[in-house]
Amino acid sequence: MNEYEILEHTADIGFRAWAPSPGELFRNAARAMMAIATEPETLSGLEERELETRGVDYPDLMVNWLSEVLYLFDTNQFAARDFRVDDIAADRLRATLIGEPREPERHPWELIIKAVTYHQLKVEQQNSRWKAEVFLDI
Amino acid sequence: MSVSHLIEQVDDYRWRIPRVNGTGMLTDVRVYASRDILEKVVTDRSLDQAANVACLPGIVGSSLAMPDIHQGYGFPIGGVAAVDCASGVVSPGGVGFDINCGVRLLGSSLCRDEVRTRLKDLINQIFRDVPCGTGGTGYIKISRKELDDVLVDGARWMVRHGYGESNDWEYAEARGALLGADPDKVSPRAKDRGRPQIGTLGSGNHFLEIQYVQRVDDEEAAKTFGLYQGQVVVLIHSGSRGLGHQVCTDFLRDMGPAMRKYGIELPDRQLACVPVTSSEGQSYLAAMRGAANFAWANRQGMTHFVRQAFRRIFGNAVHLKVIYDVCHNIAKQERYEVAGKTQDVLVHRKGATRAFPPGHPEVTPSYQQVGQPVFIPGSMGTASWVLAGRSGSVDETFGTCCHGAGRLLSRTAAKKGRDLKRVIKDLEREGILIRSDSKRGILEEVPEAYKDVDEVIEVVHKAGLAKKVARLRPMGVIKG
Repeated sequence: MNEYEILEHTADIGFRAWAPSPGELFRNAARAMMAIATEPETLSGLEERELETRGVDYPDLMVNWLSEVLYLFDTNQFAARDFRVDDIAADRLRATLIGEPREPERHPWELIIKAVTYHQLKVEQQNSRWKAEVFLDI
Repeated sequence: MSVSHLIEQVDDYRWRIPRVNGTGMLTDVRVYASRDILEKVVTDRSLDQAANVACLPGIVGSSLAMPDIHQGYGFPIGGVAAVDCASGVVSPGGVGFDINCGVRLLGSSLCRDEVRTRLKDLINQIFRDVPCGTGGTGYIKISRKELDDVLVDGARWMVRHGYGESNDWEYAEARGALLGADPDKVSPRAKDRGRPQIGTLGSGNHFLEIQYVQRVDDEEAAKTFGLYQGQVVVLIHSGSRGLGHQVCTDFLRDMGPAMRKYGIELPDRQLACVPVTSSEGQSYLAAMRGAANFAWANRQGMTHFVRQAFRRIFGNAVHLKVIYDVCHNIAKQERYEVAGKTQDVLVHRKGATRAFPPGHPEVTPSYQQVGQPVFIPGSMGTASWVLAGRSGSVDETFGTCCHGAGRLLSRTAAKKGRDLKRVIKDLEREGILIRSDSKRGILEEVPEAYKDVDEVIEVVHKAGLAKKVARLRPMGVIKG
């Protein structure tokens, strides 16, 4: 089964991601967002960068996590092609971003994502699976 | 909540959804639409969202839906909500991610025939001079300290530093800078995102069009604004870029926990809000005003580059005057008579434009007789409108009218079955040249993706919120 699928919204775009655990769900969600934003295969995985973020619950944590990844890309600090969630609880996350510092000429936007929204946001456990739905402002 | 089945007709252009007990709605929803438009509006969740907005603590009057309403995040796009300044809440989602997304119109001293023969050169020159799309880094380099000054002084800072002509900023809502901006409330991240982007168009539905005045509907108002039939004008639709988006992101993040503190519960997290008078609310407003001022500076920067491009092609005698600059994503403190008493309210305009009538003290002095200019961009390649505010807006909609055509199709649906070359050729056949970095963007913004702007305008005109002044047709489109 795929890790994620792209969702439609009248004015915007989003994705649905699945995983067996919260850590993998957060990884898959970030992969989905970066697959919309850029072409991950153009990025090398030569460097790593640690990232920590907080939230009041899993949905809030998801928005904050994706917003961090987006901020690093938009300000040319780091273009991540993959993610490793090292530690996660409902209110905090520590992860390693795998990629390289962004060079806009080599790593253009495929689709410019301006923000991560709380609109119809879902992060939930269904039986043994975790599922997330996130909409992005473009 | 689902409310579309509760719609009642008030008259040809007004509809109402009554307050439903037990849903948290504090007031009704009033919709401005023709029957045809309403049939399209009910195909998405925008009216349910307008009903959610009716749950905002301190809302005054109705939750309002303009004829271009469509589904947004939390707030519908084309939604208006006024809240009491003392007892109400401020909602970053009610302003939107692109704070002070807006429209500026420049009137040129050239007519259509003069431009037509050099159109290709002109559009290419502007496309080179105004960065847009995925590049998005501008030519205006400013320091961190200078950015703080921009956040306070908006368009005026730009004019003072050579990016404009002496009185440009007077022809803008709030004269190009809202009072009460505090750069310290704008996060370093928002500043990092925005600093390289001043004077750039951006992406999404943002665009810059060379247009001509196809038809004048109101001679007196057109003359007062400096518009005449056949005249070439430039319409710039852009906002506060990454800076505004980050301000919204930052405050949405902080307001979730703050809402718990104030005991506010709402049906949609994207509606997150806090009391206007709270420290969180005041901080947001101070940051929002900074982002709004950044957007006015941004459109001022583009004005400068557009003038340079025109002069390069047509010589130094060519003149471009700022007709006006309106914002359509904002929250502003204004004063209205509500049920016979004067009340200070915070008006959230999310995809809605201020439309003050003749004689209103905030209308630019030279436009006092005819009312505030309102610009309604249509979809790519169709038409845009110049309107003037009328007294109905102050009586009914907290001084507000619509902001655009309103999206109808999702981006994927818009692209489906369409071929880029064909779209470009069809536009060229109508005499419209298009330039864009984004092929995808062109397809996603095809005219069929939007409602008919003329129908939307008819509603606000007939409802007495604003009157038709002139219809504009595009000649050249730069799509962000």
